[in-house]
Amino acid sequence: MKALELKNITKQFPRVLANDNISFSVEKGEIFSIVGENGAGKSTLMKIVYGLYTPTSGEIYVFGKKVEMKSPQDAIKLKIGMVHQEFMLIPRFTVTENIVLGDEPRKGPIFDFKRAVNEIKELSEKYGLKVDPREKVANLPVGIQQRVEILKILRRGAEILIFDEPTAVLTPEETEDLFKTLRALKESGKTILFISHKLKEVMEISDRIAVLRRGKLQGIVKKEDTNERELARMMVGRDVVLEIPRVEVKRGPAILSVRDLAVKDHRGILKLKGVSFDVHAGEVVGIAGVEGNGQAELVNALIGFTRPVKGTITLNGQEMKMITPYNVRNKGMAYIPEDRKRRGLVLPFKIRENIIMGQHTLYPFSKNGILNDKAIDDFSTKKLDEFDIRPRDIYVRAGNLSGGNQQKVIVAREMSMKHNFLLASQPTRGLDIGAMEFVYNHIIEEKKKGVAILLISLELSEVMGLSDRILVLYEGKIVGERTPDQTTEEELGMMMLGITEKERSLQ
Amino acid sequence: MKEVFKRIFFPKREKLWWMNILVPITSIILALIVGAIFIKSTGRSPVLAYKLLFGSSGLFPGPYWKNHFAEMLLASSMFISTGLAFAVAAKGGLFSIGAEGQFLVGGIVAAYFGYAKPFANLPTAVHLTIIFIAVMIAGGLWGAIAGWLKAKRGIHEVITTIMLNWIAIYLIEDWLVIGPMKANVSTGVSGTPYISETAKLPKILPGTRLNISIIIIVVVAYLVWFLLYRTTLGFEIRAMGHTLIYGMEAPKAAGVPVEKRVVQTMFISGAIAALGGAFIILGILFQFPPVFEGGYGFDGIAVSLIGQNEPLGVFLAGMLIGGLRTGATSVQLAHIPKTFPSIIEGLIVAFIALQELVRYLLTKFLVHKKNVISGQNPGGSDKNSINVKLSDGGAAK
Repeated sequence: MKALELKNITKQFPRVLANDNISFSVEKGEIFSIVGENGAGKSTLMKIVYGLYTPTSGEIYVFGKKVEMKSPQDAIKLKIGMVHQEFMLIPRFTVTENIVLGDEPRKGPIFDFKRAVNEIKELSEKYGLKVDPREKVANLPVGIQQRVEILKILRRGAEILIFDEPTAVLTPEETEDLFKTLRALKESGKTILFISHKLKEVMEISDRIAVLRRGKLQGIVKKEDTNERELARMMVGRDVVLEIPRVEVKRGPAILSVRDLAVKDHRGILKLKGVSFDVHAGEVVGIAGVEGNGQAELVNALIGFTRPVKGTITLNGQEMKMITPYNVRNKGMAYIPEDRKRRGLVLPFKIRENIIMGQHTLYPFSKNGILNDKAIDDFSTKKLDEFDIRPRDIYVRAGNLSGGNQQKVIVAREMSMKHNFLLASQPTRGLDIGAMEFVYNHIIEEKKKGVAILLISLELSEVMGLSDRILVLYEGKIVGERTPDQTTEEELGMMMLGITEKERSLQ
Repeated sequence: MKEVFKRIFFPKREKLWWMNILVPITSIILALIVGAIFIKSTGRSPVLAYKLLFGSSGLFPGPYWKNHFAEMLLASSMFISTGLAFAVAAKGGLFSIGAEGQFLVGGIVAAYFGYAKPFANLPTAVHLTIIFIAVMIAGGLWGAIAGWLKAKRGIHEVITTIMLNWIAIYLIEDWLVIGPMKANVSTGVSGTPYISETAKLPKILPGTRLNISIIIIVVVAYLVWFLLYRTTLGFEIRAMGHTLIYGMEAPKAAGVPVEKRVVQTMFISGAIAALGGAFIILGILFQFPPVFEGGYGFDGIAVSLIGQNEPLGVFLAGMLIGGLRTGATSVQLAHIPKTFPSIIEGLIVAFIALQELVRYLLTKFLVHKKNVISGQNPGGSDKNSINVKLSDGGAAK
C-alpha cells in the first residue's frame, strides 16, 4: 500500500526552481531516505509534504487519496508529522506539558496533568521511547528532546513521519538510539521519510533512497543495490574524492606560536589550561578533541574575543599584546568560523556586502571612508564565479543561501584577504560532501601557498586527512601529539576520551 | 543627483520594497479611521475634525497656508532631528532613549553660546557655526557617555540614556537656568538671557517664523543617509544592528572595532538630537526659558518608528507629526480638545507597532492575489516577509 505518493511536484520560487517535476511513492512501513546537497531542494519538498509550502504544480496522494494541504494543520489531520531540525519545544515546560500542548486532557476547564502524565507513560512504553514525563525539557540532552518531539507527533496519530536532518544535532551514541527508534517505528507499521546528506547514515537506515540534485530527482535506488560512492556521484553529478589527497609542502618558519595559554569561558570557568604549540608556514596543525574540551576558548583567545588569563600568542614573530579581532586581522589572520550564521555572516546583508566585510575599509572597496559600489560589485561578481556560489546574484541576502553557499561566501572572503595564517574552526560543520570537498580543496590550496593553518575539528577523518600534525585536546590540555601516519583513528579516539597509554596497556 | 534619487527611491532589486512604504501608510490610515470612530462616538463630526486638523496642519494647501506651512516645517525640523538621532542608533542596534536629554543639552549650550559676551559681536555666519559646532560636540558627548558605558561596562543603553535624561533635566532646569546662567534680575527676564541678534537663525520665508533650521535638517537627513549607506562607518553600523541578536559577533570577527563604533554611533546620535535643541532656542524661543516644555526627544522615537528608521521615512514622519501639532489648536473649532491629535499620534505608533500584522495582512491580500493572477506560487512571499523582518530586526526591538 502506498502511504504517500507525489506526482510531478514542481515548486518555483521567484528566482529559484526548487523542485522540478518530482514524482515518487513511499510504501507503508518503509524507511525512505531523501539525500541531496545543501540547497538541492530536500527541505522544500518536505515542506510541501508537510503543508508549509503549496506546490506550484503537481499532486499529492496520501494513502491513495488526493489531498491539498494549505497548512501543517491539514497535514496533521492527514496523519503526517514532522520532526524539525530545530526542536519546537518550550524548555521550561515538562516533557508531558510539551507533548500535550495544544491538545491537553482536561478535567472540566482545568488541565489534568496526572492523566496527561499517564497518557505519556503509556505512549512511551508502546513505542519503546523512554522519557521521564515529569522532567523539564531544559534539563534533557538533545537526543531525548528529539524523542519528545517524536512522541509529540505520535500522540497526534501520525502515520507518516518526516525527519528533517535529525542526526545533525546528535552525538554518535544518540544517533544509534535514534536509529533503534526508527526501526521500532517501522516495525509498528509507520512510514518514515528520512532526510539527510550524511551518506553513511542513509546507507545504514534506509530501505530505499531518492537522490535530489538541483531540484531534480536523479533516481531512486534500493539500499542493497548501491553504495556510498555511487550515491555521492548521483548527488554531486561527478565522482567525489572522499579521500583527501596528501600534499607535501616544505615546512617554513613558525607563523603562530602559542605559549602556556590559559583561557576562561564566559561563565568564568577555566577551560583552556595552559597549552603551547607552533604552527609553521605550509603546515596544517589539526586539533582533535571532543566538543567542550577547550576548542571554543582557544578560538576565542586567538581571534581576540576573550582575553587569556595567562600565556602569550605570537603571530608573525610579534607578540600580540592587545589581542582584538581588528589587530589579529591586520596581522594576517584569516578565520573560517564554526558557526557561519552567527560569526561568519550578517544574514540580512547581501552577498556583495558580506563578501567584502572586513576588507571594506581597504582600497578599492572604499576610499576615504566612502564605499565604491562599482568596485564592490565587480569584485563580488568575480568571486561568485570563482567560488561557484549559487545563485549567481550578488544582491541575494546571505540568509537566503543554502548552508554550503554561505560557507563558500565566507571562504571566498577569507581567502581574498591578505593573510598568512588561517584559523579554520570546524570548517565543514553541517556541510554536504560537495561543499566539504570544496573546503578541503581550498585548505590544501592554502597549504601549497605556504599559509600556516590551524584546523580545529570534531571530525576525526577530517583531522586525519588534512593535518601534518595532530594535537589532541582533552580537558583544556594537549594530551598528545601525533602525525597521521603514526596513529590511527582508534588511538586518537582513546586520547580524546582521556585514556592514556598506560591505562590502555593495563586494560 | 539623479543617481542619488534613484538610490533612495529605487533600492536595488529589493523584493517587495514597496511594502516598506505601504505598511506605514496603511498604519497611518488605520489610525485615522480609529480616530474617526473615537470622535464619532462622542457625537462630533470626524469629517469636520479632520478637515480642520489637516486644513491647518500645513501639509495641504488651504487658507493661511503660508503660515501653517511655515509653522509645520518649524516644528518638523525638531521632530526630524530627534527622529534621526533615534534612527541612527537603532540602525546600529542601539535603543537610545536619550534624545530628550541630548536635546536639552543642545538647547542650553546654544543658549549659552548665543548670549555669551565674547561671541556676541561676531558675524551671524561665524557665530552660528561656532554655536552649532559646540552644540553638536556637547550633545554628542552626552550621547557618547551612554555609548562608552555600554562598550566598556556592558550597561544597557536604555538604562543609561534614561538616567542621563534625568541628569540633563535636573542639571539644566533646576540648576543652570535658575542658577549660574540666570539672566540679570534688573533686565526683568526670567530664564537665561536672550541670545544676541547674530545668533538667531536667519528667516527664509518673509512674514513667517520659518528659518533655516529646515534647510539644515534636510542636509543632515541626507548626510545621515549618506553615512549609513555610502560610507564604511555606516556599513559597520548596519552590520552591527543586523547582528544584534548574535551579540554582533559577525562584524566583530571580521575585524570591526565594535566597541569603538558603539561609542561613535551614540556620539552621532547625540549630536543630531542636540541640533533640535539648538533649533528651538535659536529659532523660536531665543532664550532657555525657566519652564521648558520638552518631549521632543520622546516624540523622536515615535517619528523614527513611523519612518521605519530610514532617513527619508523619518523626514516624512517628522513632517506628519509636525503637521499634526500645528493643526492641533484648530480642532477646537469642532469642539474637540486640542490634545486630540496626540490620540492620533498614539494610534499611529500603536499601528506601527503592529506593523508585522499589517504587513502580514497586506502580503496576504496583495501579493498572494497578484501571484494567483499571474500564475505564480503564493509561497514565494514567505521568504520575503522573513527577509523584511530580518532587515528591521535590529531596529525596533
